[in-house]
Amino acid sequence: MTTAKKARKGPLPALKRFIHSKHMVTLVWILGIVVIWEIFACIVAATKRTPVNVLPHLYEIIGSFFSDKKVTGKMTMIELIGTACGETLSRAGIGFLTGIVLGYILALLMNLSRVVEKIAFPYLMIIQMIPILGMAPIILSITGDINSARVVIAAILTFYPVSTNVLAGFRSVEREKHELMYSYAANKFQLYTKTLIPACIPYFFTGLKISAPMAITASILVDTLQGGNGLGCMLSQSLKGGMTRLVFWDIVLISAIIGILSFVLMGLIERILCPYKRNKTSD
Amino acid sequence: MKTKKWLGILSSVGLPLLFGVVIFVLWQTQVLHSWLGTDTITLPLPTRISEIISQNKDSIGSQVKMTLIVALGGLAAGSVMGYLIAVVASIFRKWGAGGLTIVSAFNAIPIVALAPVINNWTRDVSNDVSVRSTLAKIIVVTISCTAAMSVNAFRGLTELKPFSEDLMTSYAAPKIVVFTKLRLPNSLPYVFTALRVSVPASVIGALVTEYFAEDTVGVGRQIRENIVKGQYPTAWAYIATACAIGIGMYIILMLVERMVLKRRRA
Amino acid sequence: MANEKTEIMLDSIGMVYKDQGGNDVTALTNVTLDIKKGEFISLLGPSGCGKTTLLRIIADLLHPTSGKITVGGVTPREARLAQRYGIVFQSPVLYDWRTVRRNVMLPLEIMHVPKDEREDIADSMLEMVGLTNFANHYPNQLSGGMQQRVGIARALAIRPEILLMDEPFSALDEFTREKLHIDLLKIWRKTNKTVIFVTHNISESVFLSDRVCVLSPHPGRLSAVVDIDLPRPRTLDMTDTQEFTELVAKVRNSFEGV
Repeated sequence: MTTAKKARKGPLPALKRFIHSKHMVTLVWILGIVVIWEIFACIVAATKRTPVNVLPHLYEIIGSFFSDKKVTGKMTMIELIGTACGETLSRAGIGFLTGIVLGYILALLMNLSRVVEKIAFPYLMIIQMIPILGMAPIILSITGDINSARVVIAAILTFYPVSTNVLAGFRSVEREKHELMYSYAANKFQLYTKTLIPACIPYFFTGLKISAPMAITASILVDTLQGGNGLGCMLSQSLKGGMTRLVFWDIVLISAIIGILSFVLMGLIERILCPYKRNKTSD
Repeated sequence: MKTKKWLGILSSVGLPLLFGVVIFVLWQTQVLHSWLGTDTITLPLPTRISEIISQNKDSIGSQVKMTLIVALGGLAAGSVMGYLIAVVASIFRKWGAGGLTIVSAFNAIPIVALAPVINNWTRDVSNDVSVRSTLAKIIVVTISCTAAMSVNAFRGLTELKPFSEDLMTSYAAPKIVVFTKLRLPNSLPYVFTALRVSVPASVIGALVTEYFAEDTVGVGRQIRENIVKGQYPTAWAYIATACAIGIGMYIILMLVERMVLKRRRA
Repeated sequence: MANEKTEIMLDSIGMVYKDQGGNDVTALTNVTLDIKKGEFISLLGPSGCGKTTLLRIIADLLHPTSGKITVGGVTPREARLAQRYGIVFQSPVLYDWRTVRRNVMLPLEIMHVPKDEREDIADSMLEMVGLTNFANHYPNQLSGGMQQRVGIARALAIRPEILLMDEPFSALDEFTREKLHIDLLKIWRKTNKTVIFVTHNISESVFLSDRVCVLSPHPGRLSAVVDIDLPRPRTLDMTDTQEFTELVAKVRNSFEGV
């Protein structure tokens, strides 16, 4: 298309493409949810004594988030939630990274040695089957310290999805790729660095997308069990009164958003690291 | 050749068993305690734990019942709902795919944020604490289980082998027949893929929501209550029970899956 | 008879393995063959005749249960460790996460060839297969035929003396196949390699080779070796000639038990 023609077409085709795209659909869904929320909030406001407890309006929640009123006597809403978030996320983050490293190393060991694989496999299954989150109180009492408890739980929860998915990634490499390497007389190190490790990246991210929200959930959960500064603590404190109910809703919303964002973030990082996944042409 | 096969099986079972025995010994002889820096109060000996379990079989049993009601109820409701969502999404394909991303997003919401909200909503449902708490807990577990099922069921209903839809079209099969004879059976393995995720998730969900519920029943709640009261051996008894529930349900799932999908394993 | 010009010598090669029921399956029996340097040889036969097994034995991907084999005077293992083989499989086996150029550079990286040299060699290989314009594309942006050409370029990159090809064109349509036949023969003429080409397509084997080794199944054995004395360079219109048809018939009649 010549530039003259392009100029004539204007912004309309881009807009049209957007309307028909996947993102439009998601946008419509989000708007739909907002509308339904508001409708229910109106119903609730008309029928319940303390509507704030059950389902406040979205604008009330968002409004209180940005207000300058001091909530606890020292900090505004944003400051309060900001510090709480920071605390919760940093611990979750450390646990997350620890779990990633350990999980990856275990997957490597399991792939390198049949003995390690045989020993580890049933225990990995057991870890998946037992409710680690449910054991949070006991881990807290073992470690004694709330910060290390958060890290430990997040690490365990990340460890399983990462190691099983990375192992699946290693196993997914078809026989011919192994044979190709064999025919070049490549050594084990080259086999791993050139073939197996790059091949497992998509699987690795599948594992991350599962474990990132779980690590955050775990961190928040541990907060609720003991005092401190994290999001979970704020959550239980706000329920007991002493702050307005809107604090509670703010925290709920923020927690939900952080959880969703962590999931999206993993997807974004994957898209950046794996440009070859786009542009699939058909024959 | 046969000995090689037996050796393989033996090592698959024997090695982990050996490892487990080693851990057990380390635990019982308190070597584990010195590594972790704890005492026998916080981390009771396994023999003590099994003592407590056998002494309190009845009360543990009733707690297990409550937890199972929540877990299984939520699992069933979530799976059914998830499947229905997938069916609707497969009919309205364009809007469905977007809707599923929203559902997956719901999955990323931490349970801890969800549980108190649902508790508030169900407050006026009934005057009986146990009824409304149980309902609240079941709702939370349902939400956790819906996403896995809907995403996987959608794939099962829509990712068909090439040309199978065309085959149906060539028979002029009505849409409902295409659904029951093609899509539904095709989605069965995917249903089990989802269950492998949602069965453990339902157990975890049940245990965690018990912390936030009004009533103090359930294995999860008992774990917490006992720790708060300092009764560690009892808490550990409940932890062992929780693990048993998780493992037990998963084994049942694997057996059911094997039975249902047996003929497919060509 | 084996002499200085022999590149690969197979003597009474046999391959027996156990199937799932524990029974003996004879994949190959008593295969004796001399392959000369620079020859283009086809291993032709239906499924189950052992042609792929034979190729893999030569490539050191399998060990024969009986018989002797030498490649350039040494065992297949030593030949493999000396990186004398280039293998092209039925599917291109390209790495999705590498560009076309980097895929071709893969064996060179393994051999620790210095970086500038690697890129030069890769580029000249891509030129030979006619894919210079696609050097920076990713494999999933290429068609099947183009991907297979990248596979060939990669196999040639380490300048192996022996090119082993396992039904490389069987997944492609006939038009693409014909073009790749011509390209392959051009490359072979230019580089003088020994080519062992496995196929189940009779006219393909006759068109490409100096000699066609006919393998028959149950048990897998060498039933005949047919000399193809068509002139070179081969062109597509040769396939319409009387000689071509007769050779195809001769090859077809050499099959036993099919």
